[in-house]
Amino acid sequence: MSDIKDDEKEILLDHDYDNIQELDNPLPKWWLLTFYGTIIFSVFYYAYYELGSGPSLSEELREDMQVVEAKMREADRKAEANIDWQALAKDPEALAVGKSIYDKNCASCHAAQGQGLIGPNLADNYWIHGDGSMPEIAKILKKGVLEKGMPPWQEILKPEELQATTAYVYNMIGTNPPNPKAPQGEKIEL
Amino acid sequence: MSEKFETFSYDDAIVKKFLLATVIWAGVAFLLGILIALQLAFWQLNFNTEWLTFGRMRPLHTNAAIFAFAGNAIFAGIYYSTQRLLKTRMYNDMLSKIHFWGWQLIILAAAITLPLGFSQSKEYAELEWPIDIAITVIWVIFSLNLFGTIARRRERHLYVAIWFYIATVITVAVLHVINSIEYPVSLLQSYPVYAGIQDALVQWWYGHNAVAFFLTTPFLGLMYYFIPKAANRPVYSYRLSIVHFWSLVFIYIWAGPHHLLYTALPDWAQTLGMIFSLMLWAPSWGGMINGLLTLRGAWHLLRTEPIIKFMVAAVTFYGMSTFEGPLLSIKSVSALGHYTDWIIGHVHSGALGWNGMLSFGMIYFLIPKLWKQEMYSKKLMTYHFWFGLLGILLYYISMVTAGITQGMMWRAIDATGRLVYPDFVETVMRIVPLYYVRAIGGVLYFIGFCLMVYNIYKTLKAAPKDSKEEVYKAMPMEANPEKPDAKWHRRLEGKGFAFSLLAFLAIIVGSIIEILPTLNIDKYVPQNVYVDPFTPLEQTGRDIYVKEGCYVCHSQMIRKLPEEVLRYGKASSIADSMYDRPFQWGSKRTGPDLARVGGKYPDLWHYRHMLDPRAVTQNSLMPAYPWLFEKKIDFMSTRKKLTVLQNLGVPYTDEEVANADKLASEQAERIAASLATELKNLDPQSPVTAKSLRDKEIVALIAYLQALGTKVDDSELVEASE
Repeated sequence: MSDIKDDEKEILLDHDYDNIQELDNPLPKWWLLTFYGTIIFSVFYYAYYELGSGPSLSEELREDMQVVEAKMREADRKAEANIDWQALAKDPEALAVGKSIYDKNCASCHAAQGQGLIGPNLADNYWIHGDGSMPEIAKILKKGVLEKGMPPWQEILKPEELQATTAYVYNMIGTNPPNPKAPQGEKIEL
Repeated sequence: MSEKFETFSYDDAIVKKFLLATVIWAGVAFLLGILIALQLAFWQLNFNTEWLTFGRMRPLHTNAAIFAFAGNAIFAGIYYSTQRLLKTRMYNDMLSKIHFWGWQLIILAAAITLPLGFSQSKEYAELEWPIDIAITVIWVIFSLNLFGTIARRRERHLYVAIWFYIATVITVAVLHVINSIEYPVSLLQSYPVYAGIQDALVQWWYGHNAVAFFLTTPFLGLMYYFIPKAANRPVYSYRLSIVHFWSLVFIYIWAGPHHLLYTALPDWAQTLGMIFSLMLWAPSWGGMINGLLTLRGAWHLLRTEPIIKFMVAAVTFYGMSTFEGPLLSIKSVSALGHYTDWIIGHVHSGALGWNGMLSFGMIYFLIPKLWKQEMYSKKLMTYHFWFGLLGILLYYISMVTAGITQGMMWRAIDATGRLVYPDFVETVMRIVPLYYVRAIGGVLYFIGFCLMVYNIYKTLKAAPKDSKEEVYKAMPMEANPEKPDAKWHRRLEGKGFAFSLLAFLAIIVGSIIEILPTLNIDKYVPQNVYVDPFTPLEQTGRDIYVKEGCYVCHSQMIRKLPEEVLRYGKASSIADSMYDRPFQWGSKRTGPDLARVGGKYPDLWHYRHMLDPRAVTQNSLMPAYPWLFEKKIDFMSTRKKLTVLQNLGVPYTDEEVANADKLASEQAERIAASLATELKNLDPQSPVTAKSLRDKEIVALIAYLQALGTKVDDSELVEASE
């Protein structure tokens, strides 16, 4: 038999299972309130979102994306307002930023010095898409070349980062590092 | 009167068997856990070997922990307590033996087939169809044995522990059978009848309730037997037992969709999953209250008795994780925690804390009773407890920190509307130190376990050799009729069949309401959206993806959240996975989502990445897959595969099915030729030729990866909405 305290004798049930006995304490109040609370909340929650006027997850996403896209457009507009490509191409700070972004994101396909690997050689004088000018390079970086496996970077890199990377890649042209991938595309004049 | 007494004995030999099996499989599960924890911190431990790679080891670990360790512990406890609570021997000793050996054979089959890559990829239901059938047979045998014992009982009323056993037996049968309906392709491969959102919903209805009815209800039953026994105290509240039992079994079954919040699953099902998880909080805590308050007035035992220490810790962890569970089910919390290590921390506070600690307490309680020998060392038991507790705390704290850290990094968007950490691997690098801390936690837990093994070894060695079964006496049930003033639930406890039927109804209602509507998947895909099925080669590649367990680290589900859309592209729709058998939405992102990876990189990128992930992604943790470059595609099997898929409703034409092997080898030829040219461009010495490459598994896998996210044409839908 269990070890029963004096004050428990009244609520001890007349029963035992393999010497296990049971008391019949009332349900704790806070516990009941928690239970009822979650039930009431749930009823209202379901009614609002699934039967009433609550937004669907797709609608919530659409609203959130509008906010994000507005921020993007605003940042792009500011960054592109008075861009001086010539100055940027010589700006050592921008080139340092460009290099770090290139090493992290681009080198796996275009190789460390731009000599080409999975993607084309960037350091020769041949260019497949566009004319190798900075605005054209920036365009490819932003939009990508989907059919060739070049991803678009405009939603990943910030506008300043895109411009810095553009400057860095522009400076690679014609550096002709060792072990190049064979030229592809049109020869360009700089 | 005395002639009315019947004599009987208990089958304790079977309990001993299950108990020792528990200890052995616990060791296996823990060692596998330590291995895969270290693999995540240090990728070299994948050994470039297919049978030891994380994708195959992780399912082995979860199966070993759930079905081998916890499973045997449950059976040991049920066989011991049921006989005593019902005052009768188990219904049939032979059924008990078949149950024991059958279950061990199933575990052995899992231990062989999972490393070999035979897997359905449905979490905790990975085992292939012949093993599924074996599980069904053994479970039926166990059920017969349990219900037979209930029918022959000498105790009129069923004690609360038995209620939980009944709910367990019934619900696990329903879950296993419904989730495992699959169409065999060969002896060790099958496709589920469910596709896409159906498969996701059925799987997580199963997956969540495997936690509910394999790791919770049976352990609550054990708690209701072993805590009052060990503490020699009456159960706190019989009324609370009734209320929390029925509310728990009724509500639990609905909660599965909380694994699928913000996914393509219809909103109403997600919301049901969330609110039923919230409502589950109190019923779960009812169990905790009844467990802990049973110790009221016996708290001094906590200081001196290691068994009580284990049990109190177990119930406390149960309370913690059943609070954290509802919390994680709130949509906005799930948005942060899902796919991260927070969930891994959560399940381990349940598994190591609740299931593990309760099992250890039970083992220490049972061994002296079964072997008639006191435990060799109480001090070692106490050390075991502290090592275990410290291990769990390190595990839990490191994983919650890792999960929240990475979740915050994934969602951080700056003022320019861009992700702050667009580079996925950067978010992984940040938490690698915590992966080491987690592994240390696992090792501490394992050290505690080793102390137990030594303690058991010394105890059994000293135990008396003769083990004659003791004889007990009791009156038959008829000698003890129902009291005329008994309340309705008391009467119900006297009716085994009615009680079981009611429990069945309680779990089947929610199941039907949630699952039935989604079986009609076409209703959810708009008329003017066209979806192409995978080509025969892509399907072959998909089967390789499933076989290698890619889903354990990569999801294929872009949730309806802005940070996901920025990182991975348009949110996934129902159409995206409508022919996916099995679905591959995943539950954890150790690597990035792959739902729209098709076309994102050139074939050559994937080729180099699978051969050596670090060649294209510095600091990647992913294992290399060199064997895919040697193993050959079985082109002929594509006909069989497409036949099965066509039978299941995938719109392949008869011509495609008949020419599947030809179509597959043509596509492989094209991919191999262009890859070989590219490789030659890079390195003129490259030995790879189109001919040497065209029949290799890597080609099929690349075909599949490049098809991901490219199969849905919703241009008409988009135009219409504009």
